[in-house]
Amino acid sequence: MDTLQTLLLGFIGIVIVNNLVFTKFLGICPYLGVSGRIDMAFGMGLAVTFVVTLAGTLTWFIDHVFLMQFGLEVMRYLCFILVIAGAVQLVEMYLRKFFPALYESFGIFLPLITTNCAILGLCLFINLWGIDNLLEAVVLSFGAGIGFTIAICIMAGIRENLQLADVPECLKGAPITLITAGILTLAFMGFAGMIR
Amino acid sequence: MSSETSLNKTFFAGIWDNNPVLRLLLGMCPTLAVTAAVKPALTMGLSVIFVLLFSNIVVSLLRHQLKPHVRILMFTLTIATAVTIADLALKAYLPEMSDKLGPYIPLIIVNCIIIGRAEACASKNGLVVSIVDAIGMGLGFTITLCVLAGIRELLATGKIFEAQVMPDAFVPWAGMGMPVGAFITLGLLLGLVNIVSRKKA
Amino acid sequence: MSNNKTKNPILFFLEQSWLLMVSAILFGALLASLNYAWQPKIKQNEIDKFNRLAGGLLTKAETFETALENIPVDIGKGKTYNVEVKKGLDADGNLVGWAFICEGSGFADKIKLVVGVDAAFEKMAGFGVLSSNETPGFGDKITIKDGFFQSQYKGAPVAELTLSKIGDADKIDSEIIAISGATVTSEAVVKIFNTFLLPIKENMKEAGLLK
Repeated sequence: MDTLQTLLLGFIGIVIVNNLVFTKFLGICPYLGVSGRIDMAFGMGLAVTFVVTLAGTLTWFIDHVFLMQFGLEVMRYLCFILVIAGAVQLVEMYLRKFFPALYESFGIFLPLITTNCAILGLCLFINLWGIDNLLEAVVLSFGAGIGFTIAICIMAGIRENLQLADVPECLKGAPITLITAGILTLAFMGFAGMIR
Repeated sequence: MSSETSLNKTFFAGIWDNNPVLRLLLGMCPTLAVTAAVKPALTMGLSVIFVLLFSNIVVSLLRHQLKPHVRILMFTLTIATAVTIADLALKAYLPEMSDKLGPYIPLIIVNCIIIGRAEACASKNGLVVSIVDAIGMGLGFTITLCVLAGIRELLATGKIFEAQVMPDAFVPWAGMGMPVGAFITLGLLLGLVNIVSRKKA
Repeated sequence: MSNNKTKNPILFFLEQSWLLMVSAILFGALLASLNYAWQPKIKQNEIDKFNRLAGGLLTKAETFETALENIPVDIGKGKTYNVEVKKGLDADGNLVGWAFICEGSGFADKIKLVVGVDAAFEKMAGFGVLSSNETPGFGDKITIKDGFFQSQYKGAPVAELTLSKIGDADKIDSEIIAISGATVTSEAVVKIFNTFLLPIKENMKEAGLLK
């Protein structure tokens, strides 16, 4: 029961309270770039969720089973980024071969994901928070993906409506998106401190 | 002479015309995350210059040996090595800054500026051009970071570079130190740049 | 594809990736040697930071030595945190107090504190913040050295602490007055003290370090 509670709290925590986009500034590039249309945003969110779950689990495993055992912490970043790049390639090939329909819908986002800071960032944060069991690592990684999806979909929804608004000429495009994002973080700040 | 002007052009392209943050909108995560004060922003900027130099030099030297398949993997490997060096150096010589920047130093690995320059410039050009390009881009990034951090630090704490500049009566805007401040300041800064560049054109 | 089939697949693989492997080995060696050269300095930095914070609390202490390691403290949710207690010695080698690192979750992220107590483990010497990520302007007031929040702990008894919203902050007792606008952070700090202090004291008594 205790572990279940920890997992549930951890999940809600990373989805809402410690949302990677709003509190840690991770994954801002795709957040600004792909949030123009809500269906694209949702596709991107799904792709990120998938990869981040895989990468978070794998890097936790490698970190604990190999790097920490042999005192090779200095190779951590090198290993993490190679694992992520490898995982992305693997997922891409697998999808293309076995699920062509799925590949059609979000395959185009996959190459972009390697350089998505949310993924590497989450792997580093899992390490930083000292998560010491596999199940928790999996749940946190999955939660981070969901949090990213929520953030990018909210943003896309707002931006679709923003196209009809009368925005000052110089603020059109990226500037107004950033300002909107700022106001959104303000809203999400209300959740801070909810989970201790 | 002509090669000299083109070098000049490459150098200044990074600072204004192709400024990575303000024009290309690359490397947004560190831009927003470390700009609560000038000191960490400057440290971040210098680390990025170092990593850019390292990766551009290595990639430029190896550009004839690169196979298209493994190209990106090679870039990532080089960048990750440079970042680990920077991280170790910071931990050894500037432990306070290393604490403050935390995971944002390793996150330089996925900073699109660096992989973008390796792909667009270093893998096609000679050593000298790549070095000049790295310094120009890096400086452009650092200057932008410092400007943003200067505005935020001044309004959030009334200090710049940890030295008091505002009069005592100034009430600090706590919000500027929070994520909100980062997003809104950068948004307004981009708007300002848009106005300036339109006047120039 | 037809071209590849005529070649030995292993040779093809090597041709494509030799550069990657060679540079991976070279970079690995470079990192290993740098790590070897800098690791002592990094370790020393961590010790220096602890000593600086703990030295600020136990002002008479000149050196810190490990007294007791791996004291398990239950921090809730079925997790334990292992504390290392260090003893502070003055220039003549007399015991002036104890210091240790403890942690708990704050408003935004983990808060790590260095806590100092006197030689008899009865009065606190205060705390210093090793790392925290609290809201600027509100929660981060706990990091202000000798600020109103930190000074409430100087000389407070080692006992169950309570938190109040209003009261006299200058009176040194087990009642801690919260920072206004940062109740959660204040609660977190008090909770860290309540979780760590008494179990550590028990453990140290068992180990014969305290009378």
